Amino acid sequence: MSVLAVVARHELLASRRNRAPQLLVAMFIGMVGFSSFIGWMTQHTVSGIYRQVLADGLTTQPNPFVDVAPLFFARNTVIYVVMIGTLMAAALGVQSALRDRKAASADLVLTRPSPVKALLAGRMIGIGALLAVVVAVSSVISWLSISVITRAPLGLGNTARLAGFGALTWVLLLGFAALGVLGGLYIKRETTALLAPFVAWAVIAFVLPQLGTAARPVSLLNPVAAVPQTSGVFHAVSFVTGPLSVTEHFKTASQAILEGSAAGFPVMSGVVIAIFAAGLVAAVVVTSPSRLRGGASE
Amino acid sequence: MNSVAVFASKELLDLRRNKVVWVLTASLAAAVLISVVVASLDFRTQIADYHAYVSQLKASGSAVIPAAPQLFPLQLLRGGFEYIEIIGALFAVVVGYGTIARERSRGTMHLIFTRDTGRVAFAGGKLIGIGVFWAVMVGAIIAVAAASVAVVGTASLNGGDAFKLLIAGVASWVYLMFWSAIAAGLTALMRRTTSALILALGLWLLVVLIVPQIGDTMDPDNQVPGGLFKALAIQKPDEVAVLAHFASFESARNALEATSVSKLFERIAFAFLGIKDKYNGQGFGLLWHAMYRYSWSVLAMTVSATGFAIATSTRNNLLRKAS
Repeated sequence: MSVLAVVARHELLASRRNRAPQLLVAMFIGMVGFSSFIGWMTQHTVSGIYRQVLADGLTTQPNPFVDVAPLFFARNTVIYVVMIGTLMAAALGVQSALRDRKAASADLVLTRPSPVKALLAGRMIGIGALLAVVVAVSSVISWLSISVITRAPLGLGNTARLAGFGALTWVLLLGFAALGVLGGLYIKRETTALLAPFVAWAVIAFVLPQLGTAARPVSLLNPVAAVPQTSGVFHAVSFVTGPLSVTEHFKTASQAILEGSAAGFPVMSGVVIAIFAAGLVAAVVVTSPSRLRGGASE
Repeated sequence: MNSVAVFASKELLDLRRNKVVWVLTASLAAAVLISVVVASLDFRTQIADYHAYVSQLKASGSAVIPAAPQLFPLQLLRGGFEYIEIIGALFAVVVGYGTIARERSRGTMHLIFTRDTGRVAFAGGKLIGIGVFWAVMVGAIIAVAAASVAVVGTASLNGGDAFKLLIAGVASWVYLMFWSAIAAGLTALMRRTTSALILALGLWLLVVLIVPQIGDTMDPDNQVPGGLFKALAIQKPDEVAVLAHFASFESARNALEATSVSKLFERIAFAFLGIKDKYNGQGFGLLWHAMYRYSWSVLAMTVSATGFAIATSTRNNLLRKAS
C-alpha cells in the first residue's frame, strides 16, 4: 500500500476514535436535517399569514411564496455550513495535526524514508474523505427531508443541484480543514492552535465582508450574500476585501446552485472558493518537516 | 492576604503575562473600532445620497423635500456590540478554559492542593481575578468605542448617552463573565482539557450563533428581502393585528430566542443604546421597565454559571489525570 493510502487510512481511523470533534460533526449533521423543517414551518406560517391578510382585504399583492421551489427548503443549510461546518472542519484539521505532535509519533515516522509531502498529502486525503462522508450524509438527509416536506421525491434536476451544492460545500470545508492543520502545525500551544482558525474564520465571515459592504456582523449570518456597495469608500475597499470574503462567495455560489439565482458572479465565486481551498491544501503539503516534530504544550 | 485574594491576584498576573489574551482583546477593540468607522462612513454615504436626491427633486421643481437622515451617536455602536456578542463570547470562553487548563498543564494543581485553601477559594479567587480582568478590558473597549464615536463619527456624547453606554458596558461584563465561568466549569469537570474546549466551543456555537439564527429564520418578516409586510404593502397597525392570529408561533419563537443569553444581552444593549427605534431617545425608567426581565435573566444565568464553575472545581475533579 502506498504512503498516501496508509496515512489517509490512519487519519480516518484516528478521527473516528477522537470523540471531541464528533460533537461538532453531530451538530452540523443535526442542524442540516433540522434546517429543512425550520424552513417548512416558517413557510407554512407565512402562507397562513398571507391567507389571513387576503381574508382581511389588506393586500392585493400576489403570495410571495407561491410555487416555491423545493430546494428553497435547503436554503438555511448554506448558513449552517458557514457557521458550523467550517468550524467543524477547522477543529478536525487542528486535532489531526496536534494528535501526532502530542504523541510525538511524527518523530518516529520521520525516521523512515517516507517523503514528508506524501505524509501531509495523505493526511489531507484522509480528512477530505472524512469530510466527504459528512457532506454525503448531510446531503442525503436534506434530500430525504425535502422529499418528505414536498410529499414527492426530488427530481433528477434538483437532486443534481443538491449534489452540486454538496461538492461546493466539500471544497469550502476542505479549505477550512487545511487552515486548521496549518494552525496545528505552526502553533506550539494547543489552545492557540485551536483558536487561530476560529479567529481567521471570524475575520473571513464578519470583518472582511463588513469592510466591503457596510453590513453589520449579525446580518452576515444570513444565507443570502451581502450586496457590495457600488460607489464610495466601501466600493473601493471591496476590491481588496471582496476576493477574500470566501464565506460570502460561498453564499453567492450556493444560491445560484440551489435556487438558480443570478445575483453576483456565481462562477467567479466558485473559482475563489476553489483557489482558497487549493492554496491552503498546497500550503499544508509543502510544510517543512521540522514543523511536524516537537510536542504541543497547553 | 487570604486564599481567595491570593488566587485572584495570581490569576490577574497570569492573564497580564499571557500574550494571546492581549492579542485577543486588542482584536476585539479593533473590531469595535472598525465597526464604528464603517457605520460612520455608511452614514456619510447616506447623507451624500440624500443631498444628491434633494438636488434632483429641486431641479425637477418638487416642493416636497424629505427629512434628512438623523445621526444618533450610540447607534454607531451596533456592529461593535454585535462583535462583543459573538467574538467577545468566544474570547471569554478561551479565558475561562485557560484558567483551569493552565494549572493542569503546568502541573501546579497538585502543588496548590497540598495547601489548606478552603472549598471555594481556588475557583472563587480565579473567577474574581477574571472578573477584574473583564472589568478593565470592557472599560477599555467602551472607552475606545466612545472615543471612536466622537472622533470618527464626529458626534458628541452627552451625559445621558454616557450613562446608557455605561449600562451597556455593565451588561457586556456580566455576559462575558457568563462565558468565562461556563468554560472554566466545563474544563474543571472534564478529564481532557481539549475535549472541554471543544465542548465549550460547541456550546458557544449553539447559544451565540445557532439559536438566534433559528429565531431570525422563524421571523415571518425576514422571509422576503425588505420584509414580508412591506412587500405586501401592509401598515404597522394591520401587521400587529394580523400577527395576533399567530400568537402561539410568535411566542414559541420568542421563547426560543429567550433561551439564548446572547440574544438577551443583545436586546438589553440595543435597547439602552437606542439601536431599536422604539427605544431610541427613551428615558432610563422606561428602558428599565422594558428590559428588567431580560436583565435579571442574564444575571441569573451568570450567577448559575459561576455556581457551576465553583461546584465543579472540586479537588477530585481538578486532580484527575487525563485519560
